[in-house]
Amino acid sequence: VATVACDIATVGATATEKILARASGLPSVKAGESVQATPDRIMVYDFPGFVDVLIHQLEDEFGIHQLTTPDRYVVFIDHLVTNGTAEESDLHRVTREWAARTGANLIDNEGIGHHVAAELGYALPGTFVVHFDAHVAGLGAFGTLGIGVHRQILEPWVTETIGLTVPGTVRIDLTGALAPHVDARDLLHTLIWRHGADGFLNHVVEFGGPGASSLGLGERQAVGGMIMFTGAMSALFEADDLVRTYIRSVSDAPISEAVSDADATYVDRIAVDLSTIEPLVVRPGSTNGAHTDSVTAVAGTQVSKGYIGSCASGRIEDIRAAAGLLAGHRVHPSFALTVVPTSNRIRHQAEREGLIEILERAGATVAGSSCDQCFGYARPLAEGEVCISTGTLNVRGRMGSPRSDIYMASAETVAASAIAGRIADPRQL
Amino acid sequence: VILEGRAAWVYGDDFDVDEIVGVENIRTFDIDHLRSVCMQSFTEGFVETIHPGDLLVAGRNFGYGHPHDQPMLVMREIGIAGVVAESFAPLFARTEIFNGFPLLACPGVSSVVRRWARLRVDWEEGRVTLVSSGQTLEGLRPAPEAVKQVRAGGGKNLLLQKLVSPS
Repeated sequence: VATVACDIATVGATATEKILARASGLPSVKAGESVQATPDRIMVYDFPGFVDVLIHQLEDEFGIHQLTTPDRYVVFIDHLVTNGTAEESDLHRVTREWAARTGANLIDNEGIGHHVAAELGYALPGTFVVHFDAHVAGLGAFGTLGIGVHRQILEPWVTETIGLTVPGTVRIDLTGALAPHVDARDLLHTLIWRHGADGFLNHVVEFGGPGASSLGLGERQAVGGMIMFTGAMSALFEADDLVRTYIRSVSDAPISEAVSDADATYVDRIAVDLSTIEPLVVRPGSTNGAHTDSVTAVAGTQVSKGYIGSCASGRIEDIRAAAGLLAGHRVHPSFALTVVPTSNRIRHQAEREGLIEILERAGATVAGSSCDQCFGYARPLAEGEVCISTGTLNVRGRMGSPRSDIYMASAETVAASAIAGRIADPRQL
Repeated sequence: VILEGRAAWVYGDDFDVDEIVGVENIRTFDIDHLRSVCMQSFTEGFVETIHPGDLLVAGRNFGYGHPHDQPMLVMREIGIAGVVAESFAPLFARTEIFNGFPLLACPGVSSVVRRWARLRVDWEEGRVTLVSSGQTLEGLRPAPEAVKQVRAGGGKNLLLQKLVSPS
């Protein structure tokens, strides 16, 4: 499959402006302009109050029983799947039947949709995707502009287009490489620590520069998936050969990359030397900068549970790193560690690499891929429990009891803490 | 769209709205239950003090985190007519404007306005006036699509007008 430069002939345009110009059928657009764009994919995950409501509104309120472009719709069943009860099947039955009726894509239990979307070739460079959930921005790892729109998802759901204001772009030039035992989550939390929880408010954060190519695809997905906590609307990584090779392995579709012009207008341009980043821990309550600290400042804090998974971790890089630390060690007797590979394919790969065996021999539990532990549906935290997690959120009650606490950190920091039974610096193991 | 009411609460920066009802209550749509827990971890009897048309005031990045529907659902139910904040988290702003709820970004508002101050908000002009002193703050005028959505009582109504009963 040929890779061609984006066919929108503009000068001084950001990648985001090019993607939204193409999606809006316009020769060019500028940040601040209102556009009516046609997303290449409209993604949702099945959750009560969302897809059931959307199907009801589509059919009963809007009278739409036939989708104009069913292939545009992608519905993931990745939440509320781990109990195996009749209640769960009933919950998803309506969605499965609707997808069968309309021809919408239904991706059932293959893992966390924000990741599986890439595995199935739904995240192509230069394309535009909307979802009600903002973690879809992780697809920016592949040069896909993924924007979370929450309740506005109704608009593309019934019209296949969405009205939005073209966001400005903050460019982050990455240099160097992450030190051993430092990962992309540390990069993401460093951005919040340095620039604040509204540091990139309403903008798209574009990552490029020589350091960007030193990050694995899973690491880029983790950064993009959490970019909402910098205040940003989305994130984009410049496509490189790693992305191109991956995309060609999952899709035959023609690729039209969108790359910012050399004279593109950025809201701001920031340089980050990856080698300056150290492991960070986010204290319970909020992801903001005030809650973020160096692992050395919180090391020694008692924790009893660990979770490696979610759309912002749990990828093969994370599982390799965790297994690397846990090999030859045991999870502390007072600690319970669960590892949830982000997709079935990742679990299969981890099995082939012998990583699952290493984790289980060390005393970790490896669970089937889903979103369920991240929001407290599977293995909820009990009152008084303290968890260290690679999940997406650490507000009180997110993973179970409102009287439990969640620290957030990288997969390696969670693995090191699992061995120590308290928060530990992975560099000192 | 003109709003006039008292500042029923002044929130700080990076405020996660889920705290209004508590994360344990973000999956229920039982409005009576949501009323009973609204602001309970901040103050006693908040709901009873609200007059229809009252407003919320906040610092930077209001709606940070994973904003769910319940907090503003119950705020509208008890009579809150809109929010004026230094700035809003984009996902929160997008969804609440789509719900037809006026939000005004107005730098400086959280340091000037005290709880129970009476405000007059010309939302489409992006202007906030403190009624007692006449002091005026200039905020950001909402985007044209936001104005259409709020005027229609929400984005769904706008879409229904367009697709189901074109006028």
